[in-house]
Amino acid sequence: MATTAAPVLPDGHRPNVPSAARRFPGIGSYEQVDREIAGTLSPTLGWFAALGIAILCMLVGATTWTYQIHEGLGAAGYQPPVMWGVYIVTFVFWVGIGHAGTLISAILYLFRAGFRTSIYRVSEAMTVFAVMTAGLFPILHLGRPWKFFYLIPYPNWRLIWPNPKSPLVWDVFASLTYLTISSTFLYVGLIPDIAILRDREKNPIRKAIFAQLALGWRNSDREWRHFTRAYLFLAAFATPLVLSVHSVVSFDFAMALSPGWHATIFPPYFVAGAIFSGIGMVFTIVIPLRKAFKLEHYITLNDLDAAAKLCLFTSMVVGLAYVTEFQVAWMSGNNFEQDYFWNRVFGQWAWAAWIMLICNCVVPLSLFSQKLRRNTKWLFFLSLTTNLGMWFERFVIVEPSLSHEFEPWQWGTYRPTWVDYGILLGSFGWFFMWFLLFIKQLPVMAMSEVKETLQPRLRVAHAHAGDVDHDLTEGTVYPDDTGAPH
Amino acid sequence: MSQDTPKSGVKRREFLKVLGASSAAIAAAGCAREPSGKLMPYLVSPDETVPGVSNYYATTCRECAASCGLIAETRDGRVIKLEGNPEHPLNRGAICVRGQAGVQGLYNPDRFRGPLARDGNTWKEITWNDALTRLSQAVAAARGKQSVFLNQHESGSFSTFLDAWLASFGFAPHLSVDFEANAATIEANRRTYGVAWPGLSFQDAKLIISFGADFLDSWGASVAHQLDFADARAKLDGAPRMVYIGPRRSLTGLNADEWIACKPGGELVIANALAGKATISQAAAESGADAAALQRLASELASSKPVLALAGTTGPDALEVALAVAAINQGGGAVGVTIKPAEAITAFEGMARPDQVLTAVEQMRSGAVGILFVRGVNPVHSLPKAANVADAIKKVGIKVSFSSYPDETTELCDLIIPDLHALESWGDAEPVKGTLSLQQPGMDPVFPTIGGSTGDALITVAKKDAAVGAKYPAADYRTWFISNFAGGAQALAAALPKGVVAGTLPARTVPAAAPMAAKPAPASQGDFFLITYPSVSLGDGRGANKPWLQELPDPVTKVCWTSWVEVHPETAQRLGVDRGDIVEVKTANGSVKAPVFVYMGVHKDAIAMPLGWGHRAAAPVPTFNPMKHKITDLQWGYGRYARDLSVNPLDLLPVATDGAGDVVLTVTKASVSKTGDNMILPSNEGSARQHGRGIAQAVTVDELNHPQEREKEELPGDASHAFLPGLRSPVAADAQGELGAPTAADHGTYKGLYDPNDPRGMTKRRWAMTVDLARCTGCSACVTACYAENNIPTVGAFWQNATYWADQKPGFNIARGREMNWIRLERYFEGNLDGKFGVDFEARFVPMLCQHCGNAPCEPVCPVYATYHSPDGLNVQVYNRCVGTRYCSNNCPYKVRYFNWFGYGEPDRKQYAFPEPLDWQLNPDVTVRGKGVMEKCSFCVQRIREAENRAALEHRDVKVDEFTTACAQACPSRAITFGDAADPNWSVAQLAKDRRAYHVFEELNTYTAVVYLRKVNHPAAGAAAPAAN
Repeated sequence: MATTAAPVLPDGHRPNVPSAARRFPGIGSYEQVDREIAGTLSPTLGWFAALGIAILCMLVGATTWTYQIHEGLGAAGYQPPVMWGVYIVTFVFWVGIGHAGTLISAILYLFRAGFRTSIYRVSEAMTVFAVMTAGLFPILHLGRPWKFFYLIPYPNWRLIWPNPKSPLVWDVFASLTYLTISSTFLYVGLIPDIAILRDREKNPIRKAIFAQLALGWRNSDREWRHFTRAYLFLAAFATPLVLSVHSVVSFDFAMALSPGWHATIFPPYFVAGAIFSGIGMVFTIVIPLRKAFKLEHYITLNDLDAAAKLCLFTSMVVGLAYVTEFQVAWMSGNNFEQDYFWNRVFGQWAWAAWIMLICNCVVPLSLFSQKLRRNTKWLFFLSLTTNLGMWFERFVIVEPSLSHEFEPWQWGTYRPTWVDYGILLGSFGWFFMWFLLFIKQLPVMAMSEVKETLQPRLRVAHAHAGDVDHDLTEGTVYPDDTGAPH
Repeated sequence: MSQDTPKSGVKRREFLKVLGASSAAIAAAGCAREPSGKLMPYLVSPDETVPGVSNYYATTCRECAASCGLIAETRDGRVIKLEGNPEHPLNRGAICVRGQAGVQGLYNPDRFRGPLARDGNTWKEITWNDALTRLSQAVAAARGKQSVFLNQHESGSFSTFLDAWLASFGFAPHLSVDFEANAATIEANRRTYGVAWPGLSFQDAKLIISFGADFLDSWGASVAHQLDFADARAKLDGAPRMVYIGPRRSLTGLNADEWIACKPGGELVIANALAGKATISQAAAESGADAAALQRLASELASSKPVLALAGTTGPDALEVALAVAAINQGGGAVGVTIKPAEAITAFEGMARPDQVLTAVEQMRSGAVGILFVRGVNPVHSLPKAANVADAIKKVGIKVSFSSYPDETTELCDLIIPDLHALESWGDAEPVKGTLSLQQPGMDPVFPTIGGSTGDALITVAKKDAAVGAKYPAADYRTWFISNFAGGAQALAAALPKGVVAGTLPARTVPAAAPMAAKPAPASQGDFFLITYPSVSLGDGRGANKPWLQELPDPVTKVCWTSWVEVHPETAQRLGVDRGDIVEVKTANGSVKAPVFVYMGVHKDAIAMPLGWGHRAAAPVPTFNPMKHKITDLQWGYGRYARDLSVNPLDLLPVATDGAGDVVLTVTKASVSKTGDNMILPSNEGSARQHGRGIAQAVTVDELNHPQEREKEELPGDASHAFLPGLRSPVAADAQGELGAPTAADHGTYKGLYDPNDPRGMTKRRWAMTVDLARCTGCSACVTACYAENNIPTVGAFWQNATYWADQKPGFNIARGREMNWIRLERYFEGNLDGKFGVDFEARFVPMLCQHCGNAPCEPVCPVYATYHSPDGLNVQVYNRCVGTRYCSNNCPYKVRYFNWFGYGEPDRKQYAFPEPLDWQLNPDVTVRGKGVMEKCSFCVQRIREAENRAALEHRDVKVDEFTTACAQACPSRAITFGDAADPNWSVAQLAKDRRAYHVFEELNTYTAVVYLRKVNHPAAGAAAPAAN
């Protein structure tokens, strides 16, 4: 999508927005896009190694889960009254991760935010896999996981239905809806690209598969008209989900009585946190990816810069939510609530609360600096602290509340065991396994959308001073991140 | 309940002819994966046995010396639960923790399954007949030599029988041993009142002073004393004030209104001062007690008559203290009013003094003893290690044990002829003067390989000797017993249904012992006095093999599955130790390592350790592995649950006796040093403070009488409005049948989900409970009753954790908060917030169980309706429906829901809580829960439905107060009342309207069905009340 930003200035000043003519100054032609993006699909040794590690981690998780099913949930670190542990924390974490994808692909699409073009496919895939990962946890944490289908409203002889009052049932609906919509959205967006792959594919089996998946896409104007309509419709459809799903997840807590959970601020607070964590994860994935796939001229520093601003904004929203929570507790006059917050920040759980506060509210403030916003190493580090901080945010919400509720006789603590860590590791293995498989099967970049930003071949630009017509010739690549011509 | 009893003997109750089914498979019914087996019905049903209906047999408890009356509930020929016998004069239907655990002695998995003979270093199973032949040979060989028979002290005609048997072989009379009993008190009682234990009336007292007499822990007939004490406290206004004097605030001490702390050994001078034989200032100076408090007590004593002063110290001057206290009683008008020698508790008559055992030990050491018999006593564990009992026993020619369990003493014996359990055998007792309590078998022996009781064995042995045999015409002990019963078989049959009958037993003689001067302890070095005391649940150690008792948090410290060292907070700070730090306690006699429990109820110059733990096998035994265990693997060291668990502080004590011959348990000096290790104490205690949350509320007697003077209650839990009639909840109106009823506000136009005209009449009821905190003493009998009734698994054994990379430590699951106590006893402290040494603190006990909220937070959050509201007001848990999200527990403000983290009910798992034959105790009316489901108090729904069904069968309504829950039934304080709050005739409906009533966390709008009645404190006149927080 074209933007109307100022062009690159010749004096070496580097604006953080691309020029009007140059969304991707390093990309010259459609063929270049096809070649470079499709080129990322050939497996490399590093990819095999990464996939191997991911599968290994996944297997560790699977083995651990098998052991846990056999032994009972006691193998994990639950310490009543802390009845929810790492699994619920990680569930909320992954659902949160899943939010950035839809935000970037749907909401930013509706807002015509250009920087989404290069990163939306990655984040959308991330969304689907994150929701797939998150979906494991509610089952994983059940005492009797083999009975998880009791939560699904299926017709049965006993006429027993799930309890519509229970937020956990809402969760089931919310998560499944989100998974359906986000995977549909991902797939629909992929159709033109799959068609490109189909056309380039030599292997007959893969070609047949791509042919099926491309749904007979022939690149006709009519198809494009339908496609853009459908895409817009899906974007509009997915947009409320960004808000609703994590709101529903937050109801798991907000609808409960426990001090620290029973708060009306939870839905917006959770949504902001989810987007924040999702963008963190996008950075974690995209920054190594653009380097490994040599896509620096697609995912430009400008794009990262823009995403970093979003990250900064959501971080501040989250920070505000934290402060509001304290304020409400302080002013409520509610002994239970005040006691809980004190214990959370200055007592038993101070270590976790301060990890959260520093990672989520202090470190992201560095993004006020443009230099750091454009420093990929810093962004990558920041993405890791964001992930850590957001995991701890959920930890701080779940554990300190449960361990410090109404009844002092039942105050406790919580320490996970190797089983919790094994399954946590397994969830990352599972997520990255899918993700790594994805990036070598399907393009990580929306080729068709990138092409939309290029000047069509048929059109010839007016020659005037400072123009860069010759750059349109195929094969000219500017390795410089800014894409500025010399 | 009925008390069906056959008209004649045990032969008619030869039930248990369930063919083809393995015992495990039957009793474990309800577990997740039992192997398929064949269940065949009786061809000829035994008389009076109806499948699925319990029979109840009255019998006598033998878990301590007091001989309370029991009702053994049996189902299809198996005892499944023990309840108190309401007809019994001592326990009046109540039962303590240890009494209930008797069933775990009966079904103990480490019980000997038949006779054993030593074969070199190993043991060989022998037949019953072979065992008796060997016994007969041993007796014949030992004739003419000195003999020692150490028998567990129990009241009854068995002791007469035993002495006659011993005499007929020319052996000395037996020693009737109870190491827990306070010999000094008994001796002083004998000298003062002429009886071992006079009847005590707390109700008639105006002032109760206890000098270390822990009548709620283990001193005397604790159930009887507790019943009376609770009745006295329930008088509220006219209730006696209680003062506890001693260096450590025991459970009894925590129930006192005032604690006067003194140094160990300081009790004597205080008693003398109160008796007028010393001045108060002298007493204060010598004992370290607060002079003002003593002065106040002295003047109170002068004005409050009758008084009830009790002595139970265990120092070297214990007898002198007891005699001085007797003088206080004389002066306080107690004799005949609060102390009633005429209503003596005769169960303590005939007890041998511990010094007689020590003398016997010395005789054994000299090699003079030819034969030693041991039955139910474990002197190797229960006497100080310094007495070196084990070495002495090894010098005896032949050692015969009649014990049922592989304890330390039995391990040294040559021949083991296990006795039948009290629930499998006949006997009698005279608990109080003029009343006999009968003991009859509740079932056939668990192990048919045990051919009979010790009495049977002795008669058979006698018959093998022609001369002696002539004196024993009876074929077995039962016949002997019946023929000796006044009135014979007919009178016995008539008396058995009630279990008690008027009568007396011949007076018992205690073997004369040379009057023994107190044997003082050698002077020892150390910074602290070491106080040791029998544990409330394990006693001197005999309860240690019963998982219910190990799992029960100590009423004072709330620690279980381990021993501990009580250290005052000030002392702990000085030593640099905190809760759970392992310290080494050292005396001249040895050293032990145990974790610290910081307790402000122990004198700052003293440390305290409970007895009961520290069982050890003499020869090494491989670590217990439930998956590889074979029933032939003997679990020496008192069984799998007791062996190597923590330490026995008797290892530290010198052999010293007081003037009454009792072993001195306090005043040895010890030093304490930090080891640097620490552990998480297995305990259900989170915070010992209420943080102003009004869970355990109390009023002083003044506030109670002048409620208008009471300042506006700022406690959050205080009732801000009157309870709804019948404790109903507006939220559960539908379940309560109020929607759709013609009387409803909407004239029945809106139909709810529940039928207001439910044919079962459920909607008209609201099952509810009141807990009177003025009565509750925190004894925890309700907790064990609940374990027994509801098949609650114990989870603290070291093997009950996960398999791989998991800590295999005793109590680990409890340390992680995974205990399953559906009802738990919370013990909150009030006052003394700064942790400085002071006596101004109060303990409040609150039994906390599912509150069966009318607006239950757990119900809406369950995604699968596994928990829902029943029309009769119960909060119901459906195990089969539960998927284990545990959301209900998260949302429960009372935290009374418990999760099955492991497959405790599955026999093929290492975490299995009921190893055979412990599974025989399971209540067939209650599901054994599987792995991964939530469970909680059901208000004994099986009892509710049983009563309703019985009423329906008899075409009547459930009668008022017709039945009650297990906890209420057991409660020796009568603090718990259960019933239908919607029917004003039930006691619970009236109690719920008490002026002291409150709901816990009422501000959460949960509309609980459990109503607590505030505790009533009686502060000393002129003394500052403990600061409430």
